Amino acid sequence: MSKAETIIELRGIKKVYQMGGHALEALSGVSLEIGRGEFVSVMGPSGSGKSTLMNIIGCLDTPTSGEYYLEGKNVAGLTFDQLSSIRNQKLGFVFQNFNLLTYATAWENVEVPLLFNGKNARRRRQRITELLEAVGLLDWKEHRPSELSGGEQQRIALARALANDPPILLADEPTGNLDSKSGEDIMGLLGGLWKEGRTIVMVTHDDRIAAHSERTIRLFDGQVA
Amino acid sequence: MNLTLPRFFLREFRKRRKKTALITFALFWGTLCVLILLAFGRGMSAQSRVAFSGLGENLIMISGGQSSIVHGGLAKGRLIRVYPNDIEDLKKRIPEIAVIAPESYNGWPVSARGKELNRTVHGTTPEFAGLRTQIPQPGGRFINADDEAEGRKVAFIGWKVAADFFGGEEAVGKEIIVNRVPFTVIGVLQKKIQNSMYQGPDADQVYLPFSAFSQIDSQPYLDRIHVQPRELGLSKLVEERIRTVLGRKYRFDPADRYALGIWNTIDNAREQEKIFKRIEIFLGVIGALTLFIGAVGVTNLMYAVVRERTQEIGIKMAVGARRRTIVLQFILETLFIFAKGTFWGFITAFNIVGLVRLIPLSEEGFGIGAYLLRPVFSMDIFFIFLGIVGTLVFLAGIFPATRASRLNPIEALRYE
Repeated sequence: MSKAETIIELRGIKKVYQMGGHALEALSGVSLEIGRGEFVSVMGPSGSGKSTLMNIIGCLDTPTSGEYYLEGKNVAGLTFDQLSSIRNQKLGFVFQNFNLLTYATAWENVEVPLLFNGKNARRRRQRITELLEAVGLLDWKEHRPSELSGGEQQRIALARALANDPPILLADEPTGNLDSKSGEDIMGLLGGLWKEGRTIVMVTHDDRIAAHSERTIRLFDGQVA
Repeated sequence: MNLTLPRFFLREFRKRRKKTALITFALFWGTLCVLILLAFGRGMSAQSRVAFSGLGENLIMISGGQSSIVHGGLAKGRLIRVYPNDIEDLKKRIPEIAVIAPESYNGWPVSARGKELNRTVHGTTPEFAGLRTQIPQPGGRFINADDEAEGRKVAFIGWKVAADFFGGEEAVGKEIIVNRVPFTVIGVLQKKIQNSMYQGPDADQVYLPFSAFSQIDSQPYLDRIHVQPRELGLSKLVEERIRTVLGRKYRFDPADRYALGIWNTIDNAREQEKIFKRIEIFLGVIGALTLFIGAVGVTNLMYAVVRERTQEIGIKMAVGARRRTIVLQFILETLFIFAKGTFWGFITAFNIVGLVRLIPLSEEGFGIGAYLLRPVFSMDIFFIFLGIVGTLVFLAGIFPATRASRLNPIEALRYE
């Protein structure tokens, strides 16, 4: 695939955690580029820094040092609220453990990012219907996460991640908590989204899951192997 | 203003109200207790004023005494009396006096319808009504100037006297025999509460025009002179002037505290009011302490609730919530909880106070019930309360929320 445009660019990203008295380097100088429309999987053993890398790409965490360009813009210097609006509109995040609001219905979970984006009621309704239909859960819109299976919860989470139609979708072990059938469903949906032109970055430790992607980045001890 | 987010927060709050039910209840209970406590305190103060006005408001009462200081060559121990002509003298010489009235009384048999009772019978002038809160029941009146001028044989009687003789029947127009002289009842005293008196409660008294009283009573001097100063602040001055004027007339030392018996109810009322103000302050302090304990509890609960929601905050941040959105949500939730708890506390306290006030008071004297059963609900107390509790609850909500909003989204998400 020709890299028409770089959408994510990391240069020498380091992340150091202070654990008690000593410093733990989760990422020790990661540099990588991801092109628009690419489907990349990030693999590596436990503790290799996959999730830390994803959290930094997803603007959920900030690097200790290094530069991160998202659509050519340096993210490092942005304020919390600017990052919030990036998370809201540029990035969709799917977590291993779904991270749905437990007290809210499927519909309401998908609605949250739309609310934070200031969409009016009519447009919210329209968009949620579209999204729930796309993940095949419109009939479950009044159900709470506890009344849904793992696969269904992850589909709701996926619908939420896509709420504001972000160009980039980040998935951290999206199938990690699912049975293989549900996992395949999710991968099918991700594949479809990629074909629509979305950039997808996915963390996994499962080769079969990684096989869905175009390119695999391998991490080892906080560095690209 | 865009209400999308507030509406969303209200919806979330409603969904989760069970989680905050305890806080709401604590606020409800605190509001209820403090408001009721203060309403009773305020009621006691107010009732003490009412009870005192049962005798009369801003009243100075002068009676005779015995000199205790040698003065102008006269030995001490002389009896000093006040006489009917002192009324004119005092009025003329002390312009600070607004109203003045004489009073004499005697214990006599009073009879009607074949029933005879011993009652204290007073002779006085029309001014007495205003001085001593003698308000007639509808259909009757107090002694007037014509009664006094013509020496009419008319009587104004306490409601118990009326009940003793005539039961439930209309007493006005009926005849009573006072010391073997017939008098026509012209009015019955309206019921009132009274906590200070000298010849028993006004309910048991019989009042005659002074002129008519003098015809059947042989005592040349007065038992009392009632004086009301033009202003409350003048009471001490008027008291001193009375001593001076009467001291010159009856030749006693104005500094002689025993020459005249002076009962200054203004002083009494002030003393009593001070005591009740202190009780009110005391109850206020108890209320404030209760409030403080409650606020600590509410703060704690708020804190726990917000902590419990750290992960939720993380999720919201991950999908694009701004810091101020997070803080706004908690401020609004705090406001909802606060509004709900205090609103119902207020409504309940207001109704309890209203219901307690419906309990009838016994007219037998002025018992503890009269002080306790007339709580006064005051809005100023409520607003002060709202201000204090509002601030505390607001702080209790805002601190943990601000703290949570400062977390990295990932830290908040991982929070257990």
